[in-house]
Amino acid sequence: MSTAPYIELHAHSAFSFLDGASTPQELAKAAEKLGYPALALTDHDGLWGSMEFAHCTQELALRPITGAELTVCLSSHPAVDGPKTPDGLEFSARQHLTLLVEDEVGYRNLCRLLTAAHAHTRDNTARVAEPAWTTLEEVERHADGLVCLSGCARDGALAGAFERGDTAAGERLGRRLLAAFGRDRFRVELQRPYWRRDRARNRWLALLAERLGVPTVATGNVHAHARSRSHLQDALVAIGLGETLESSEPRRRGNSSSALDSPAAMAERFAEHPGAVAETLRLAERLAFNLNTDLGYSYPQEENADAELARLCRERLVAAYPPGVDRRKAEGRLESELRTIRKIDLSAFFLLHHRLLELAREVALEVRGREAARSLLPPGRGRGSSVSSIVCYLTGLSHIDPVKADLFTGRFLNDEIVSDDARSMPDIDLDFPRDVREALIPRVHEVYGADRSALVAAFPTYRPRGVVRDFGKVLGLPPEEIEKVAGVVGFHESVEEMERDIAAAIGTRRAGSRRWQALMEIGKEALGLPRHASQHSGGMVIATAPLTDFCPVVPTAMERRQIVQWDKDSCADAGLLKIDLLGLGMLSAVERCVDEVEAAVGKRIDLSRIPLDDAETFRSIQAAETTGVFQIESRAQMQMLPRTHPETLDDLTVQVALVRPGPIQGGAVHPYIERRKRQREDPSFEPPYEHPSLKKPLGDTLGTIVYQEQVLEVAMEFAGFTPARAESLRRAMSRKRSQQAIEDHRQDFIAGAGKRWGVPPAPAEEIWQKIQGFAGFGFPKAHSAAFGLLAYQSAWLRVHHGAAFLCGLLNEQPMGFYPPDALVHEAARRKVRIASVDANLSCVLCHVESPFRRGEPEGAPGGLVVRIGLGYVKGVREEEMAALVAERKRGGPYRGIAELASRSGVGLPSLEKLAWAGALDEVPLGAEEERRRALWRVGVTGNGRRAGQGTTQLSLPIEPPEPPRLERLGEWGEVIADYRSTGMVLGRHPMALMRPRLGAGLSSSADLERVADGATVEVAGMVVARQRPETAKGIVFMLIEDELGVVNLIVPARVYDQSRAVVRAAPLIRARGKLERREGTTNVLIATIEELEQTERADGDETLPSPARPSRREPPIGSGRDPSPWRRSQELRKLAIAELRAVAPGGHSFGRRR
Amino acid sequence: MVGPRRLNEPRAVAVCAAGGVPRAVGGAAVEAVREEWVVEDRWWTPRPLHRRYFELVMADGRALTVFHDLRAPGDGRWYRQRA
Repeated sequence: MSTAPYIELHAHSAFSFLDGASTPQELAKAAEKLGYPALALTDHDGLWGSMEFAHCTQELALRPITGAELTVCLSSHPAVDGPKTPDGLEFSARQHLTLLVEDEVGYRNLCRLLTAAHAHTRDNTARVAEPAWTTLEEVERHADGLVCLSGCARDGALAGAFERGDTAAGERLGRRLLAAFGRDRFRVELQRPYWRRDRARNRWLALLAERLGVPTVATGNVHAHARSRSHLQDALVAIGLGETLESSEPRRRGNSSSALDSPAAMAERFAEHPGAVAETLRLAERLAFNLNTDLGYSYPQEENADAELARLCRERLVAAYPPGVDRRKAEGRLESELRTIRKIDLSAFFLLHHRLLELAREVALEVRGREAARSLLPPGRGRGSSVSSIVCYLTGLSHIDPVKADLFTGRFLNDEIVSDDARSMPDIDLDFPRDVREALIPRVHEVYGADRSALVAAFPTYRPRGVVRDFGKVLGLPPEEIEKVAGVVGFHESVEEMERDIAAAIGTRRAGSRRWQALMEIGKEALGLPRHASQHSGGMVIATAPLTDFCPVVPTAMERRQIVQWDKDSCADAGLLKIDLLGLGMLSAVERCVDEVEAAVGKRIDLSRIPLDDAETFRSIQAAETTGVFQIESRAQMQMLPRTHPETLDDLTVQVALVRPGPIQGGAVHPYIERRKRQREDPSFEPPYEHPSLKKPLGDTLGTIVYQEQVLEVAMEFAGFTPARAESLRRAMSRKRSQQAIEDHRQDFIAGAGKRWGVPPAPAEEIWQKIQGFAGFGFPKAHSAAFGLLAYQSAWLRVHHGAAFLCGLLNEQPMGFYPPDALVHEAARRKVRIASVDANLSCVLCHVESPFRRGEPEGAPGGLVVRIGLGYVKGVREEEMAALVAERKRGGPYRGIAELASRSGVGLPSLEKLAWAGALDEVPLGAEEERRRALWRVGVTGNGRRAGQGTTQLSLPIEPPEPPRLERLGEWGEVIADYRSTGMVLGRHPMALMRPRLGAGLSSSADLERVADGATVEVAGMVVARQRPETAKGIVFMLIEDELGVVNLIVPARVYDQSRAVVRAAPLIRARGKLERREGTTNVLIATIEELEQTERADGDETLPSPARPSRREPPIGSGRDPSPWRRSQELRKLAIAELRAVAPGGHSFGRRR
Repeated sequence: MVGPRRLNEPRAVAVCAAGGVPRAVGGAAVEAVREEWVVEDRWWTPRPLHRRYFELVMADGRALTVFHDLRAPGDGRWYRQRA
C-alpha cells in the first residue's frame, strides 16, 4: 500500500498538442519513480493519449486514471464584436473543467462530450481546425459517472471568474455544477502555479467550496514530467499561439512549477490547504475505471457466421481449383484455416472484410465506369501477411494463390493468436487505387453508419526540419537563417547531426549564439513528440455499436471523413476492429495506363491475363531499366538487379523483399547474391545451411533470411517454438515495446535449439543474431508476392506501352523515386515522345495522343505522344482548365488568345501562367507565338476583372494589336520558365546548355562508359535523388542526371561530413572521384563535391555580350567605381545559375537518417 | 544621466531571510507574506531571469515587493521593485 500523501489528478501530456511537453510514457514512468500509486491524464479536449498511457502503466506500479480537461463555453451573451460561436455567443467565455472517469458510464459520457466538443471544429468553409468546446448544458446532460473538478488556475470555470473579478458569476456557476454532478462528484480545484495571486485565489475558492458544501482538491496542472522540459513547454505554447516567446509571455506558465513534482513536495506546496491534499487520495480511490480492463468492447459475433464463411469459401474453392493435387492441397488448407478461424471466433471478422471488398467493387465500378478498360481490374488487392491465407484468397481479399505460391499462414493466423494476447487481431491490409479509395471511405461511413465507422488517427511527430522552422520562429531567429538550416537538416537525423548541420549552414559563430543554442536544447527534447493529430493513411475502425461509446470521434480536414482519437496501436490495444484501406499510387498509375492504352490504340489490357514470363520484360529488369517500375526502381534495387538477374516472378518476390533493412542488417543480401550467382553458373549448387533444420524454412532464399515469416519458421523448426510464441517473438522485435521480452525469447530460442536438436549455445546464438539483425523490418513473403506481381505488371507495361505508362506515372505524382522531370528525360532517352503543354491540345491531365486518330499516317515515326496536361502548370485553377478543355471540345480549337480568353472564361492569373509555360505558343492557329509575346497579348486581352458578387467579366474576343518588339526568351530563359511553370524541361537539357562553359576535363554520363575501372573522373549534373540509408554507415548515394543519362555517385561519410550542405541540398553539383565498375553497375566513389558553377553565361545569349576579360585589375565591388562590362557579365552569369538553382526540381531525398 | 531610463528598475536591498522567506527588509521587520511567486523566463537570451518574488506586509503597515535573484551563477542578491 502506497503512503504517498498526494495523488496527481490533473496532468497534460504532449497529446494536449502544443500544451504539454512529455509523452504519456514519460509521465507514467516519472510518476512511478516519484512514488505515485496512481496518476490521472487529463489532456485538453481529448483522449488521444489515454490508451497509450493506460497501456504503458501495465508494466509499472501505477494505476491509470482516465480524464480530460474539457473546454466549456459558459457565456450566454450574444457576441457584439470579435469571435463568436456558431450560435452567435461570445467566444471569450470559454473555460475549463477537469473531468475524471469514475466508471464505464462516465467513460461513455466523456467520449460523447469530447465528440460534441469537436463536432463543430471544421464547420468553416476551409475546414481549418478551430478550438474544441462544448456547452454547459451538454455537460449537464452527460454528468453521470464523471467527477468534475472546477478547473485550472487561469482558465478554470471558477478560478477564471475570480481572475475576471466576477465572483458572483463564479458562485452561480459553482451552484450549477454542484446541481449537475452532486455533492459526491463535484470538487473545487485548487492550484498553486506560483503566480502572483495564488493565495488570494485559493482563499476565495476555499471559501466558495465551504459555502457550496463540497471539499476542495489540490492539483498540479502538470505539463511536463521533469523541470528540464519547462523551456520546451514555453516554446510549445508560443507555437500554439503563433507568437514569439517574448510576445507570448502573458500566456505562458512563467516558471517551471508545472513539472511533475513528488507527492511530498506537492503536499508541502499546499501546506495551507491540507484538506485539499488529503482529498486527492480519497478521490483517486474512487476513480477506479481502468481503460486496460474496463472498456467493455469486444468484436460482436454474428449468427451463422461460421457456416456462412465456410459455404462461401468452399463454393469458390471448387471454381478456383480444378480437381487435382492443388485442389486437394487447397481443401486441406482451407479446412485447417476455417477450424482456426472458428476457434478464435473470427468468422464475422472475415465476412466483414469480404463485404467491404464487395462494397469496394461497387464503388470501383462507379468510379471507373462500367465500360472503361480498367473495370476489368479487381477493385483492390491485399498486401501484408493476409495474402498468405486461402480464406483471404477465396473471399477476394488477396489476389495471390497461396497454394501455388507456397505461402506460410502462421504469421497471419494461428490457433494461439488470440490466447497469446487477448486483444490482438490479425491484420488485413487492402490496397486500392487512390480514386477508388477516396470514394470508398465515405461510402463505408454511409453503409456502416457515421457513428460506427471512422478512420484511425495518426500523430505526426516533431522531426528536425519542423523543429528548426517552428522553434526558430518563436525564438525570433532570422527567417533566412531558418530556411537555410531547414533546407539542410534531414528528416530522421540525430541531435548531433542536427548541430553539425546548423553550423554547416550558418557558420559556427551564429550557431553558437544563445538563441540557436536554445533551439538545439529544446529541439533535442522535442524530437519525437506528437505535434498534432491527423488521419492515418488508411486505417479504419468499424464497430457494431456507436464508436462514441468507446472513443471520441472528430471531423477531419477532408469532408465526409472523421477520425477516432486513437492511433492504430491504441485501437489494437482496445480490441477495435481495424481495416487498412490504403491508397497505392502505382495501382492508380497502372489503371490510368490501361485506360490510356485503350483510348490511344483501342486495345483492352487485362493485367490478370498478361504472360508472366515475358522475356523482354525480364531482360529490361535484369538490365535495371526499371525507372518508374514499382518497388524495383530505387537506386539500390537497380544496382542489385544485374547481379541477382531475376528470371521469374518468384525471383521478383525475393527481389522486392531483399532491399529492406531486415535482410540488409541480418546480413542476407551479399550471401543471397553470391549464392544466386553460383546457382546460375552451376544449377547443381547447394547453398550451405547452418543447420539441416533450416533447409526447409530458408530453401527458397538460398539459406538467407529475407522474409518476415522466415523468422517465425526458423524459430519453429530450429528452436521448437509454437506458432503463437514465434509470432510473439516477431511482435516483440517489431513493436519495440520491451527489451525484456526479446531477451526472454532469446533464452527460449537457445534453450529450444539445444533441447530439439542438441545444438550447443554458441551456434544457436549465431542463428539468433541473424534473426535479431532482421529485427522485423522486412516484408512477409505474401506481401512480397503481392508487390512482386505489381512490380512485374508495371515493368511489362513500361516495356510494351511506354508512352501510356509514363502518362500514368505523371498523372499520379507524387509517387515513386523520381521527380517528373527525371521521368520524362529518362523516357525521352528511350525514344518515348513527349509534347509540351498546349492549350489547344492538352487535357487537364497528361494523355496519350495517337497520331492515327489525329489523321497522321499510321506508323508515323515514334508512334504515340505523351501530351503534358494543363494541370501540370503550377498555380492554375483546375476548374478553369477543365472549362478550357470542355469549351475547346464543344466549340473547336481556339484561334487566338483573345478568343481563348473570351470563350473559356479562364481568369487572368491562370492565363498568365499558361502563357509563361508556353501553353499559348501555338494558339494563334497557323502562326507560332512566343512566350513573351503571348504574355503581352494575355495582359491586353485577358479576363479576370472582378465584376462583383464573385463573377468575372469576360473579355471581348477581339484580338489585340501586334505586340511591340520583344526579345525571345532564349533557350536558357525557356529552361528557367519551364522549371518555374511545369517543373520539367522537355527541350534541351540545362546541362547541354551549360556544358560548353563548364571547362575541360568534365566527363558526361555517356563518356563514363568508355572510362577504365579505377580512373579518376569529374562529373556534373542535376541531382535526381539522394539517399542515406540507415544501414549504410553514413554513406550517401546520389543520382545525378546530365543531358545524356544518369550517373551514380557514392559519397563516403568523410566527404559527406565535409560537404554536408552541398550533398543535402544543392540541386546542381560537380564532383570528382574514382570510377568503379562491378558486375554491370557503374559508380563514382566521390572524393570532392561542390556546387556547380559555370565559367561563362550558358546560352551565349546575344542580349548579354561577353566582353573580353580586361587586363587591368577590376575595382572591388562596393568601391564606388562602376564595374567593367566584363565584371557585369560575370555577375549576370552567377545570377543565371542561381536562378536555375532556385527553380530546378532539386531531387527526391530518402533515408531514415537523411 | 542623459538618455532613456528604465522604469521601475529593481533596487538592491538588504534582506534578512529564513528558509528563503524574508523576515526583515532594510532593517524593518516583516509582518506577513501576502503572496509569493516565481518568474523563470528569458532563458533563450544571454540574460535569463530566475526570481522568487514576495509581496510583504511590513510591521509598520507598508506593502513591499521584493525578489530574490536566483540566476545561476546569479548574484543571489535581493531587490525591491515597485509592483
